[in-house]
Amino acid sequence: MRENISAIYNAILEGDVSATKDGVQAALDAGLDAGQILAEGMIAAMKEVGRLFEEGDYFVPEMLIAARAMQAGLGLLKPHLLSSDVKSAGKVAIGTVKGDLHDIGKNLVALMLEGAGFEVIDLGVDVAPEKFVEAIAVGGANIVAFSALLTTTMPNMKITIDAIQHAGLRDKVKVIIGGAPVTEEYSRQIGADGFSSDASRAVSLAQSLMKTF
Amino acid sequence: MNSRERITLALNHSEPDMVPLDLGGCGQTGMHVDTVYLLRQTLGLDAPGTPVKVIEPYQMLGEIKLDLLNAIGGDVVSLGTTGTLFGFKAEGWKPWTTFGGTPVLVPENFDTELSADGNLYVYACGDRSYPPSAKMPAGGFYFDSLSRGEPVQQDTELRLEDNLEEFGPISEDDISHLQSESRRLYEQTDKAIMMVFPGTGFGDIALVPGPMLKEPKGIRGIEEWYISTVSRQKFIYQIFEQQCEIALQNLPRVYEAVGDRISVVWLSGTDFGAQYGPFISPKSYRNLYKPHYRRVNDWIHSNTQWKTFMHCCGSILPLIPDIIDSGFDILNPVQTSAKDMDPQVLKDRFGADLTFWGGGVDTQHVLPFGTADDVRQMVRERLAIFGKGGGYVFNPIHNVQAKVPVENLLAMYDTVRQFRSYPV
Repeated sequence: MRENISAIYNAILEGDVSATKDGVQAALDAGLDAGQILAEGMIAAMKEVGRLFEEGDYFVPEMLIAARAMQAGLGLLKPHLLSSDVKSAGKVAIGTVKGDLHDIGKNLVALMLEGAGFEVIDLGVDVAPEKFVEAIAVGGANIVAFSALLTTTMPNMKITIDAIQHAGLRDKVKVIIGGAPVTEEYSRQIGADGFSSDASRAVSLAQSLMKTF
Repeated sequence: MNSRERITLALNHSEPDMVPLDLGGCGQTGMHVDTVYLLRQTLGLDAPGTPVKVIEPYQMLGEIKLDLLNAIGGDVVSLGTTGTLFGFKAEGWKPWTTFGGTPVLVPENFDTELSADGNLYVYACGDRSYPPSAKMPAGGFYFDSLSRGEPVQQDTELRLEDNLEEFGPISEDDISHLQSESRRLYEQTDKAIMMVFPGTGFGDIALVPGPMLKEPKGIRGIEEWYISTVSRQKFIYQIFEQQCEIALQNLPRVYEAVGDRISVVWLSGTDFGAQYGPFISPKSYRNLYKPHYRRVNDWIHSNTQWKTFMHCCGSILPLIPDIIDSGFDILNPVQTSAKDMDPQVLKDRFGADLTFWGGGVDTQHVLPFGTADDVRQMVRERLAIFGKGGGYVFNPIHNVQAKVPVENLLAMYDTVRQFRSYPV
């Protein structure tokens, strides 16, 4: 049993898509609980990927291949998760703000959140404030996460928060922001609930904010 | 002392009469056309409504003419081939207006489509029979490459030539242009000439999607490319190897055309840094990129008097020793707002080996959002730190963007004028 889990864990760390899929299938065939496979094989692996990234041992390409392997495994696991009692860690709507097309960072955050058991609504790039509002009102997001790479699109972060406020939804969600020019101070200034400098820390932030609900 | 002499001394790590200044030497030390227009109007260089040429349409950079360069005390002029990043030539100027309302002139084949939701699309080589190659969001200031082509399904389908389509011999027309234009700039100005050499930006992510190609094939998605630098290293190495061969065949032809009239050659704009750390591991840089940069730099240093210029955004401290070992003389833009890129640390550790070209003022916070006094203070500090002992050319960090307050720009250039004389 442990071997099955370890095989999945290591395959994700190595970014090996086929080994991850084989490992998940083998674990399912051996009768392991889907929730256990997710928690110990996959979420734990992505947590380690995040730690290695924060330590400066893994870089963007290594994170991307690990996340790709994790997603491949998750694809096999999902039908089994739906039929079990595994609860999601929370629902996050994520996108880049209006006018901003730069999404590598946003995609990494989405992948890491999924790897940590969150349900992610990826709104894509160049996202109008109304779409974030809709993701809360209709999509049921607990957290909205948005990013900007450009100094010229950063102002759209405040505009998005204002739109959420205007829709009467501000106290229903937590808002987290990121992106190259964004700082902790800026996030406080515009009334966000948190800022993170990378995808791994974004997961920790989302997890701690979920506890406040 | 003239500009050319000033630059030469600085690049050889001696103190000239004053710190040299660059505006427009290359596509990362320029200025958005909206801001060029505003600056020209403020300085009284043009009648209101006089359009500015967009000499680089991807980033919408404005032409820096000699009158503006002399007004701010600039020392560098740019020389390049006639093409643009969208595959059409920078010629045959026609009027256009930016989203910011600025009257400009764009190349004849700059053909765009405004979608119903206000986004602007541009076509590679101006050919509308193919899907657009780049997009400017509604109200935006520059383009981003669009992902086109089929996603990679099987590695067995991958062919080297698909990722080499945009690299090839420089045309005889362009060689002729480089020759005549380098002569003109050398004889008619006393400015140092920076030549932008095409084809040695290994894995430049802005160009991986192939914005200049009508129908790009191969690995063209940004994420797929980054993944490939780890999972398909051998294949990527082979792409770079062939790209390098092409460059080594072009270099002697170019040298024959321009000789040592050129002071600086821009070789690469590949960004290896993100805000908080390098994009790739030092080991990946060493294995995948360094050997090819080394070959190019070695040829140039063995055969010419040119100094070589690398543009690399972001937090790259762990990579700098290998960048130096790759043979580069100059590092730009020196993004001091990124993690671990402290100006004094950079100057102390690497100032003997590298000329810093940039770093003059933070452009993520101070230049766009600070006060004019914030700008003045930072510029003074940067001149003093980076300027010591030569090995420094002033430029803000990367192109000056749109919507930078003109007061802040004037404060920057005025402070340079006041405090650039040696000793700094």
